[in-house]
Amino acid sequence: MTDEVILQVKDLKTYFTVDEGVVKAVDGVSFDLRKGETLGIVGESGSGKSVTNLSVINMIPSPPGRIAGGQVLFHDKDLLKIPLSEIHHIRGNKISMIFQDPMTSLNPFLRISTQMIETIVLHQGLDKKAAKEKAIEMLKLAGIPAPEKRIDQYPHQFSGGMRQRVMIAMSLSCNPEILIADEPTSALDVTIQAQILEIMKELTKRLGTAVILITHSLGVVAGTCDTLCVMYAGRIVERGPTDVIFSEPKHPYTIGLIRSVPRLDKENTERLYSIQGQPPNVIDLPDCCPFYPRCEKAMDICRKKYPTATKFENGRSVSCWLYSEEKK
Amino acid sequence: MSRKISKTVNEFNQQLKPISLWADAWKRLRRNRMALISLWIVVFYAIIALAAPILPFFDYRIQNLDHTNLPPSFRPAGQLAIEKLKSQITILKERVDSGMDTLKPDLERAEQELTVAKDELISNPENKKVYIFGTDNLGRDMLAKTIYGARISMLVGFIGTLTAVLVGVILGAISGYVGGWLDNLLMRFVDIMYGLPYMLIVIILMAMFRKEGQSSIVILFVGIALVSWLTIARVVRGQIISLKNSEFVEAARSMGAGPGRIIFRHLLPNALGVIIVFTSLSLPSFIMNESFLSFLGMGVSAPLSSWGSLVSEGANTMELYPWQLLAPAIEMTIFLFCMNFLGDGLRDALDPQSKNRT
Amino acid sequence: MSKYIIRRLLSLIPTMFIIVTLSFFLIRFAPGGPFSSEKKVPEQVLQNLMRKYHMDEPMGKQYLRYLGDVLRGDFGPSFRYRDSTVNELIADSLPNSIVLGTFALFCATLAGIGVGIISSLKQNRWQDYTAMSIAVVGISVPLFVIGPVLQLVFAMKLHWLPLSGWITGRDGLKAMVLPALTLSFPYFAYIARLSRASLLEVLRSDYVRTARAKGLPERVVIVKHVLKGGLLPIVSYLGPAFSGIITGSIVVESVFAIPGVGRIFVQSALNRDYTLIMGEVIVYSLILVAMNFIVDIVYGFLDPRIAYK
Repeated sequence: MTDEVILQVKDLKTYFTVDEGVVKAVDGVSFDLRKGETLGIVGESGSGKSVTNLSVINMIPSPPGRIAGGQVLFHDKDLLKIPLSEIHHIRGNKISMIFQDPMTSLNPFLRISTQMIETIVLHQGLDKKAAKEKAIEMLKLAGIPAPEKRIDQYPHQFSGGMRQRVMIAMSLSCNPEILIADEPTSALDVTIQAQILEIMKELTKRLGTAVILITHSLGVVAGTCDTLCVMYAGRIVERGPTDVIFSEPKHPYTIGLIRSVPRLDKENTERLYSIQGQPPNVIDLPDCCPFYPRCEKAMDICRKKYPTATKFENGRSVSCWLYSEEKK
Repeated sequence: MSRKISKTVNEFNQQLKPISLWADAWKRLRRNRMALISLWIVVFYAIIALAAPILPFFDYRIQNLDHTNLPPSFRPAGQLAIEKLKSQITILKERVDSGMDTLKPDLERAEQELTVAKDELISNPENKKVYIFGTDNLGRDMLAKTIYGARISMLVGFIGTLTAVLVGVILGAISGYVGGWLDNLLMRFVDIMYGLPYMLIVIILMAMFRKEGQSSIVILFVGIALVSWLTIARVVRGQIISLKNSEFVEAARSMGAGPGRIIFRHLLPNALGVIIVFTSLSLPSFIMNESFLSFLGMGVSAPLSSWGSLVSEGANTMELYPWQLLAPAIEMTIFLFCMNFLGDGLRDALDPQSKNRT
Repeated sequence: MSKYIIRRLLSLIPTMFIIVTLSFFLIRFAPGGPFSSEKKVPEQVLQNLMRKYHMDEPMGKQYLRYLGDVLRGDFGPSFRYRDSTVNELIADSLPNSIVLGTFALFCATLAGIGVGIISSLKQNRWQDYTAMSIAVVGISVPLFVIGPVLQLVFAMKLHWLPLSGWITGRDGLKAMVLPALTLSFPYFAYIARLSRASLLEVLRSDYVRTARAKGLPERVVIVKHVLKGGLLPIVSYLGPAFSGIITGSIVVESVFAIPGVGRIFVQSALNRDYTLIMGEVIVYSLILVAMNFIVDIVYGFLDPRIAYK
């Protein structure tokens, strides 16, 4: 990981219009990504993690969604403003994305070779033969046995874990600068999960790819991410280097999350901890800290206004009135 | 089972309006303008068909040989009859003048009828009638005929659909719930029935088993219902199978509920949405089948008439008197069109993620 | 894959068997006989006729005799048209029905898929609404309404096309236009709706999302990724569609006076011409069963999940 910042997301807002109102799925999200860095985005379902990443490559279905504000600067070019033809050069090529469910993410009617070759031919200008060789090589790196034979098969002939390896191979085949992985292991068995994460780590280190890893599992984050963003109700509530956040969490939500993980090394004489309450329904939320109904340390001001971000050293920041100088 | 829906407040002091499944579906249906319009049209048809005997329409059985084959109009029948006679006379005159003397007696008769008609124009109250759909070859009011045709068609459709749905739901539910060899047998049977050109068999049935002069409605029902229950059975079976391993079923079973109770009180209500959608789409299909048979002369027989037989009659005379074809045809088309739109709308409202869309 | 084919083949046999048996006994058990509608025939002549057509034998024996004949391809003499055999009658009329039916289905499929594609790409815009409204009309209006109305407009009032008749007559190919149009309309409508729904579902699928995320231009996404999966259900539909075309041809042939099998079907049923009906039913069923079989096999080849087990 170097200090060169390749992606800057500034105050991103993505809203969805539904019958009942406006869902502010992403409401002012900002983060930086450095070359080779692995950034984790952690949050519960509905916190806005997936929408954030779809917004980065401008793939929000509209209607009913729209990107309502903010910038996504990739090498200082705003991805939200460039024309469609340019975005096609970036997707799959400079910024790749893999999705959660490998069973449905591959086209069941096309061979793996077809699906992999089309990306390589499109973005790298190789001919079909060379592209196929490159694809086979990527499959080998991803740990698929006998890739020369298996590449001509169809997705249903692979198991779940194998399919995700194929997805990883496919997404890295054009050597992108950023890989966005949206809960890549959530649909897999625990044992396979570990393997997939290993492969991802190995390949991205070798190729120097930066990774944005979205997950709801703290365990996954702890093993793979350099930096961590914690999301709640469409906003990032805490950000910083992973080990620092784990050892010294500041935001009450982060504290609650870490406390909720059952520990094998401590004697379990107490009940398992869980954060009381439910994640909010994000339709037409009033201006307040969305965590306040569940927060043990909630104050009066938490109900009235969304906290401003407080910056610390090491690139850490927290959005909580406990730390804000502007407390009134 | 009534449920009181109370307003609650969430942790942000926002009002929450919990909404029941049916209210949600109704809301969605209301937003579909075409479906709503169709609903009102269908209701309109139903009301008129039901109330036909007491409405101030002309009896469809009354024949008036002075008023045969009159075109649809808002003007009184007497005037139209006179105009018809006049044009007949003109044609006859031309032919007689060009040398066809055999037509002379016809010409004289027509001129006599014309005089009588002119005299009776005011005196005969019948001549003041207005036939807005025209008349047929025996002077019967097309409007009345088509309305009574609608009655029969809709009756056949409704009762037939109900029967098919009942049979299909029961068989499908039992088959799906019990599973095993019973299910296999039934589904094999359904598969084979699907592969048969069943309409052919129905036609054979109808042709073979009808007795001259007798109304063959019962055979009609049996024939069409025999094959209509297939789709419903399959769909219900599918729903039951996907639901039968749910936890609420386990809970009911652990409380001692027998299979009958589980099927009828727990599983079927959950399949109700799909059942309603298929019922509303079966009705037009049933009516189409019935009118198809009637058109071929194998459905309802005189004196009853359905849309099918009316179209069949109208097709024979359409060159000279097109309204005799168009009136029942358009009336029937509008009804079926609305039923289909309504069915689509119901499906969107009750089952928006349905994979059974077509 | 071969297991799939064999399984399908095996299910043909019981189906055909059931059809033949069902029809045979159904017809025999109907009230009245094949000669009851004719003028009063003397008892002796009646007995001779019965003997000639083997109707004096017990039902079971008649059935087995008939089965044997059918397997040899002989449908027997027509009861009604005494000078012809059923084979002759059907052989004369079947080609016309097949030409009409196939042409109608072909047009319906082509037009339906085209309209379905346009509708799905322009969802909820005016092209979609117009197309789908026409489609609902198509599935709502019965064939016997469309036929006469088209005749009224195009033949009687506008005089553009012939009223009835067939391509073997003096109007040639023009005679096929109206009947084919009539017969194909409901199936065009259904296929349009089906393809639209199926394509929309595919457009929303995860794998299309992946294709877009890979940076493929939308045109490629649609042609390469969407069409294949989206149009596959149409293949499945062709089986039942063919069944409908067979039924529909009965009406269309009657309305347009086309010398096909459908037109004689109704008459033969009313005439209780046993052998002719049986022959027609068997031929129709055979065609239907064969078509379903072919459709199933083709589907199996097109869907890799079946082709490569």
